[in-house]
Amino acid sequence: MKSARTIFENGQHKWIALVRDPEKPDFLIDTNEYLIIDGEEALLCDPGGIEIFPAVFSALCTQFDPRRIRHVFASHQDPDIASSLGLWLEFNPELKCYLSWLWTSFVPHFGGNKETFIPIPDGGMDIMVGGLKLTAVPAHYLHSSGNFHLYDPKAKILFSGDVGAALLPQGGDGLFVEDFNQHIRFAEAFHRRWMGSDMAKRDWCARVSQLDIEMLCPQHGAIYRGDDVRRFIDWFANLEVGVVR
Amino acid sequence: MTSTANDRNAGFELRRIVRINEEIKSVVATAFKINLMAMNAIFLAKRAGQAALGFGVLSNELRRFATDLQGQMSALRQLTYGSTAIVNALVKQARFSRILDRAREQTTGKGRDILDEVVRGHHDVDLEEKRSRLKVVNRRLQQMLADTTQLVELGSVLARSAKIEAAYSGGFSASLTQVSSDFENTISLIQRSLEALNKNHREDQG
Repeated sequence: MKSARTIFENGQHKWIALVRDPEKPDFLIDTNEYLIIDGEEALLCDPGGIEIFPAVFSALCTQFDPRRIRHVFASHQDPDIASSLGLWLEFNPELKCYLSWLWTSFVPHFGGNKETFIPIPDGGMDIMVGGLKLTAVPAHYLHSSGNFHLYDPKAKILFSGDVGAALLPQGGDGLFVEDFNQHIRFAEAFHRRWMGSDMAKRDWCARVSQLDIEMLCPQHGAIYRGDDVRRFIDWFANLEVGVVR
Repeated sequence: MTSTANDRNAGFELRRIVRINEEIKSVVATAFKINLMAMNAIFLAKRAGQAALGFGVLSNELRRFATDLQGQMSALRQLTYGSTAIVNALVKQARFSRILDRAREQTTGKGRDILDEVVRGHHDVDLEEKRSRLKVVNRRLQQMLADTTQLVELGSVLARSAKIEAAYSGGFSASLTQVSSDFENTISLIQRSLEALNKNHREDQG
């Protein structure tokens, strides 16, 4: 089972990270899911693949009633992002899924109907969860051609999808990045290969540099916090991407 | 029924549909051949004139038979398509059930109650409804196979009658006998395909 770790809490406003399932079969990539709660409502970021649904669901239930999840945010269209959508809809058929307009006719293959999906325009949009205003930040071509990250200005947290992801070796299961230089070695090959556009990368770096970020939460690997956020953005800005090596 | 049993059943149904579709393809190809053969036979009968009037009528009937057979195969294909759609939904549901079962094993307290509620709520009912729809489709399939068998029996009778008519066609008797024997042999191919289909269907139904 995954563990549910509260990474931010201020009154009724919470971020819970659902991470690290020791029983996960090794042929499935490890993923992080994030639940953003404001009072009675919640949004689930990248709910995960169908095969890891039991682990995500059981961990989430220890903290929150899954029937109160009103929204799902899908950073992009990959199966490890949203193939569990049909199962989440079993608990709340009224659930709304925010995702790039580009994928609104592709992702329904995982579940849902016309009413389920709220297309995010290329420039991004605000998403209300309870009284909280979140912003979908464009991250196109990083790595998907229709890609968004989610920024919470109150918590100063950026959910960064595959950007910042690291494929950690066995035993490297810390929730936060503790030694940036050690950690980034496990992120390098992934970013070089998966991030396809240098121009998109520079654009993203410029955009997020203007945001006040205390935590950068990727979908795979450890969370960057404090000065490591700036370190990561600078490292990424200088990384040669879109190459096979 | 457990989700593993559901998966096995779904796999079994899909393999059965593939077998039926393969036989349908073979019957359609043969029906097309009969259609062409009948058209040639009609021309031949016309050339033979008065002596082959009966043969001409039977050739026309054989052509209509081939067209009816093609229509029947197209309806059968529609049925197997419907069957595939239901099986697909069953596979999806079986997967959902399997994953929900796993989630239930891992979840305690209120989460487990919520899962139980969802599973009880509509999952089993929905699954039952799909299974009975599949049974209805299978019954219709069986009926259609029986109808097709009758139709092919009629084709076989027409071919045999054409052979008798050929014997009384004067100078054209030899060539028309050859044509009617070809009809008979080709229709017997369809009969064999249908027998295989019926046999498989009976065995599959248990």
